[in-house]
Amino acid sequence: MNDLRAFLAASWKEWRVLRRYPTLLIGMLFWPLLLPAVYVLQAQGFAGGDPRAMGAFAARTGTTQVAGFLYVGWSMYMWLSIVLWGLGTSLRTEQVRGSLEALFLTPASRLVILFGPVAAHIAVALWMFLVVGLALVFGFRLSLTPLSAVRALAVILLAVPALYGLGALFASAVLRFREANSLVQLVRGVFTLLCGMTFPIVVLPEWARTVAMTLPPTYIIADIRAVLLAGVRMTELVSDFMIVGGSGIVLCVLAVVAFRYVEGYARRGGMLAQY
Amino acid sequence: MAELRAAWAIALKDLRVLGRYPLQLTGVVWLPLYQFLLPSILLGSTFLVGERAVGLQSVTGTADMAGFLFVGALAASFVFGAFWGIAFPFKLEMDSGTLESGWLTPTRPETFVLGHTIASYLVSTAGGLLLLAVGAVLFGARYVAASAAAAPALVLSLVSLIGIAYLISAAVLLIKEANFFVDTTSFLFSVGSGVLFPIAVLPTALKVVALALPVTYALDLLRAGALGTHPLLPPLWEYLALAALAGISLPFGLWVFRRTEHRLRVRGTLGQH
Repeated sequence: MNDLRAFLAASWKEWRVLRRYPTLLIGMLFWPLLLPAVYVLQAQGFAGGDPRAMGAFAARTGTTQVAGFLYVGWSMYMWLSIVLWGLGTSLRTEQVRGSLEALFLTPASRLVILFGPVAAHIAVALWMFLVVGLALVFGFRLSLTPLSAVRALAVILLAVPALYGLGALFASAVLRFREANSLVQLVRGVFTLLCGMTFPIVVLPEWARTVAMTLPPTYIIADIRAVLLAGVRMTELVSDFMIVGGSGIVLCVLAVVAFRYVEGYARRGGMLAQY
Repeated sequence: MAELRAAWAIALKDLRVLGRYPLQLTGVVWLPLYQFLLPSILLGSTFLVGERAVGLQSVTGTADMAGFLFVGALAASFVFGAFWGIAFPFKLEMDSGTLESGWLTPTRPETFVLGHTIASYLVSTAGGLLLLAVGAVLFGARYVAASAAAAPALVLSLVSLIGIAYLISAAVLLIKEANFFVDTTSFLFSVGSGVLFPIAVLPTALKVVALALPVTYALDLLRAGALGTHPLLPPLWEYLALAALAGISLPFGLWVFRRTEHRLRVRGTLGQH
């Protein structure tokens, strides 16, 4: 019970910190709208109004909804950015602020320190998905039914353990190596290039496709596209959900193990307060 | 002469600081590659018909998708250099508390901008050329040597960019928390100049905005020379537009920067952040 209260307090604290930076929420309005819009324009340039080019796109992606395809992919990029910059750097941020030692001295479970900020960052991610959904409906006339929206939300919620397990694992790595920026760029770069954010993974070389199929975001993007753009039912995606759910469990366990290792390493070396 | 020596010293200082962070330096090539170029090439490959970019060819006159994008990346490296390398260092100086001590030296404040410009343009030139080489070696981009004839256009756009960097520097000094501002304006400026897509696909209102940006013309002339794309306007007109924009933006930017600096000194808020 005490841990639950500590968990809620950690989430509330994180939310209060996020609210202090309104540019973050403005950014969550600006980037999810504009970044994919640039690629929609680029796609128009690549299509050039040529029906053969559009046909090639439809054959490779399974949809003619270019805007929907790109907005879903880039919202995954934004979500990943929220996870890596938010949860992924949270321990490092506490370290830089000088509050990490104080946190470790509380009797709260270490899981609270590791996963406490998750709820606040999920709220930011849901806001971003809402912005994207409204842009698709009102800006690009995508016909989204309430049922497909609910299905997409379900896919997003099912993906939470995998994404935030990854974020927590990343947070331990950042704490260990005391470097956030380069690690975020590296990890986000790998996911951007392999998970099919702006393209279908069929255009990747075979080795890259094999790697892509081991990464949970590949399935999450494909499943959101499937339910939103192709009207696929949830039951048809059960195998994907099992992979994403299983990855979530593995990543969360790995994150806890890595966190314990990093904590021991930092305490032995007296590095908790160093940065 | 003393101001030029000071500008050179500031540039050397910037380069030495950059040299201390080699990982950050690799970002000059790695970041545009993974954030824009590779996703764009992979998106473009989704539209290929028989390995040819027929759609791009019908809009621009070239089917060399990699060439189109990598020449855009060269221009983008100067835009991001102007915004992040020239204007943003003032924010970093504010944060580290060295802005006021720097400005208390006999060096004129606008010389600091010039110093940052030299360092930033050197890094951008190296990064942009490396990206062009990556495009040619790994992605089969083919640039015609005639593109060198468009070098004056690039130089004129760089002069305009210094004027714009003065404006952005003034904004950074005023806003203080300028990360989001610099991030969004640099992004809008570069995509508005057509680094990622042909200007022809823009709606008319946005096309007008694009035609007010100097990099649009320089990039258009570079692509026309290197890849044989159809220029937006006759080249002479584009050169005239570039010269006019350089003639306006540099003195205007300098004037705004001096006014802002004076205002901050009067209010005593120069070093606040």
